[in-house]
Amino acid sequence: MTTDEQTLFDSNEITLSMGPQHPSTHGVLQVKLKLDGERVLDAECVIGYLHRGVEKLGEHQTYGQFLPTLDRMDYIAAVSNCLGYCEAIERLLGIEAPPRAQYVRVLLTELNRISSHLLWLGTHALDIGAMTVFLYCFREREEVLKIFENYCGARLTTHIFRIGGLQYEIYDGFEEQVRTFVKDFPKKIDEYEQLLTENRIWIGRTRGVGVLTKEEAIDLGVTGPCLRASGLEWDIRKSNPYAAYSEFDFEIPVGEYGDTYDRYLCRIEEMRQSNRIVAQAVEKIPDGPIKAKVSKIIKPPVGDIYHSIEAPKGELGYYVVSDQTTLPYRVRVRPPSYVNLQALRQMVTGHMVADVVAVIGTLDIVLGEVDR
Amino acid sequence: MKIARSEGLSLLKKIFLVDLIKGLMLTFSYQRPSASYTEQYPKVRPKVAQRYRGAPRLNNDPETGETLCIACNLCALACPEYCIEVAWDRTEAGKKALTTFTFDLSRCMFCGLCEDACPTPCLELTQDFELALYGRNDMKWDRQKLEEGNQPVLYSK
Amino acid sequence: MDFLVDFVLIPSIKIGVVFGVVSLVVAYLTLLERKVIAFMQVRLGPMRVGPYGLLQPIADGLKLMLKEDIVPSGADRMVFTMAPIITLIPAFIVFAVIPFGPTISILGRDVSLYITDLNIGVLYVLSVSSIGILGVILGGWASNSKYPLLGALRSAAQMVSYEVALGFSIIGVLMLSGSLSLVDIVESQRDSGYWYVFLQPVGFILFFVCGVAETNRAPFDMPEAETELVAGFHTEYSGFRFSLFFLAEYASMIVITSMTVTLFWGGWLRPFPNIEALAFLDLIPGVVWFGLKVLMFLYLYLWFRASWPRYRYDQLMNLGWLYLLPIAIGNVIVTAVLVLVLRG
Repeated sequence: MTTDEQTLFDSNEITLSMGPQHPSTHGVLQVKLKLDGERVLDAECVIGYLHRGVEKLGEHQTYGQFLPTLDRMDYIAAVSNCLGYCEAIERLLGIEAPPRAQYVRVLLTELNRISSHLLWLGTHALDIGAMTVFLYCFREREEVLKIFENYCGARLTTHIFRIGGLQYEIYDGFEEQVRTFVKDFPKKIDEYEQLLTENRIWIGRTRGVGVLTKEEAIDLGVTGPCLRASGLEWDIRKSNPYAAYSEFDFEIPVGEYGDTYDRYLCRIEEMRQSNRIVAQAVEKIPDGPIKAKVSKIIKPPVGDIYHSIEAPKGELGYYVVSDQTTLPYRVRVRPPSYVNLQALRQMVTGHMVADVVAVIGTLDIVLGEVDR
Repeated sequence: MKIARSEGLSLLKKIFLVDLIKGLMLTFSYQRPSASYTEQYPKVRPKVAQRYRGAPRLNNDPETGETLCIACNLCALACPEYCIEVAWDRTEAGKKALTTFTFDLSRCMFCGLCEDACPTPCLELTQDFELALYGRNDMKWDRQKLEEGNQPVLYSK
Repeated sequence: MDFLVDFVLIPSIKIGVVFGVVSLVVAYLTLLERKVIAFMQVRLGPMRVGPYGLLQPIADGLKLMLKEDIVPSGADRMVFTMAPIITLIPAFIVFAVIPFGPTISILGRDVSLYITDLNIGVLYVLSVSSIGILGVILGGWASNSKYPLLGALRSAAQMVSYEVALGFSIIGVLMLSGSLSLVDIVESQRDSGYWYVFLQPVGFILFFVCGVAETNRAPFDMPEAETELVAGFHTEYSGFRFSLFFLAEYASMIVITSMTVTLFWGGWLRPFPNIEALAFLDLIPGVVWFGLKVLMFLYLYLWFRASWPRYRYDQLMNLGWLYLLPIAIGNVIVTAVLVLVLRG
């Protein structure tokens, strides 16, 4: 560690500690930047400020009790977290949720993807200075959260599914509320695009910034929209369909250059595609039971399972080892944000300070998930 | 599916600032007060969902006024945070009778598992969401408070 | 006696009125900004203090006054204290030459609605308002913190480069009016019958863009880009000292818009001063016309802030040096040629 005086006067470099209380590190991420003027020479991420030991907690709670804790990982995509773990345990138990539950799960997960992407778009745009987009995004996100609130009684940390299916039957007026949202939402996306997509300032700030080539993205293990924007068509919903995804018609947007602008366009298109899935799902929710037969005390047979789903931020995987007791022997989470964050250093080196916030925004990290 | 990525604006659009004016038009059109999305919270009570998971409540039988709790302890077992404590006595007939019921609201994360576990319609998470209290000790709700519900200090203006 | 009244009493009253009005306008400009941006963002803005939040600026001011005065350890105390004052004073004394209205007669005495008519008014405005940047640099440096330092460096570079283009964009107007006095410029617009914005549209756009950059407003708010540099040069400032920076920023916004109005939009003149049919518009006093025009441009500032993202530092420099400056010089040359040819 050099003192301020040395760094200020003996060399051209200064070390700037961005975060953990910085407005645009999206939580408690600390980035130690080595700067030459405004140019970034090196960046080092310091994480762990939000570490709560979620994996260890999983070993001390029964399979069912662990679900609400998982909501606190990626708290803006709590539904996806819940879905992944439920499906992992269901596979471990050798059961499958009934079709009605599968459809509702897909519907709610895709709504959650929309709300997660909306929050990403809002904060990303705010980082780059377009503060109105933020409020518009939150307006639509509010509609999604209202659906969640009506469905399960909570807005953010939803605890929405249970192992084996659903706890709650859909409420009266659910379909109507979803249909209204689905009908209005594409117009709202057009509004965001009207403010950003062609704006010369936005293009200047995002095009060619934080480029991640396809090879680099694969080497770093980057998944989700960040990987797809780099040109690889990889989406677990298509490659290893889970829940009822194989029965829906949707496309996977793929970028070409892997810069911030491509990632922006990819996520915007993903919102449209999610909207399509929701529109299909709400029309054909089958009748039937909402929960498979699961005993009150869950004791999966000895064994282990890795199950991954496509969370809004990338591949969210759960590795669960069971020793036939009520508590899992080991729960390991593969969080997409944590792995994607590794790419930060490569993406910001050589850019300017202002690009660091753009890149942090475009990676779409949630520190609750990075630190767990 | 390849995303459509335009390679910059045409020169004419650039000179006449079409992209910038498009943005201005949108923000201008939203200035009408009817577009406002703000909820004036303390002045206007928000409507929370019917299934909202808020403050817990122990329900009494509306006819007899006796508690519906059968002291089965399932809620305490279901709670991931172990924030419920149930104590009971045996009556002379050998039946369980509830003595104390403590709910530590400071640890509760409103997951609803206790409500799901309750075999009677007794324990319920209500729509009350204004749970700010002055002390940490106030957050340990005893049976009486759980039955009556939170009585917040009301300020008027 | 006349001497006392003309040179002591009336100027004192004028200074007092201008100072009071400007302070009040600055305070309510913050409310206007919050309200306008809020409505654009489908919100309501401040609603709690007074009816529709109308007393919010007063509450804000009180809060800032009452806050603890914090000087970070390791800061250069004297410079840290001085910096906000250095920024504030020039922002206010510029108003001395801004012509708010024509000369009118009150109680049989001719009173001009400006504090003084300096024959080098334009130069005075440019030079005095550029002193303000010293306060920003000193404040950023004296804070002994890195975000303010970066913010100060950015502001220094930004203001210096945009001042060049700003200066060039005015020259067209000066050639047309043949005077450096702001009052003369307005009067020559009346005499020629056209606001100079119609004769100098390019000059106006350049002046306006550079003005936005000069006042550190979006989309050129690099020095205090809050999502990058926390709060830029005033990161370490709080309470009363912060409010001085804040006042200075909004006062200089008003200065720049007043200059825009004076130079290009006919100052206190009514629209189309050469069309007799519109003479009834003269019933509205010049000060009101001036105020309306200023308000219009202030609204534009807020509108921009609500609509656009922020430029990056290097892009801002590119824009200033590679586009605005050459265009400004080109404008000067074209105007010069035209003035020579047309006036013979």
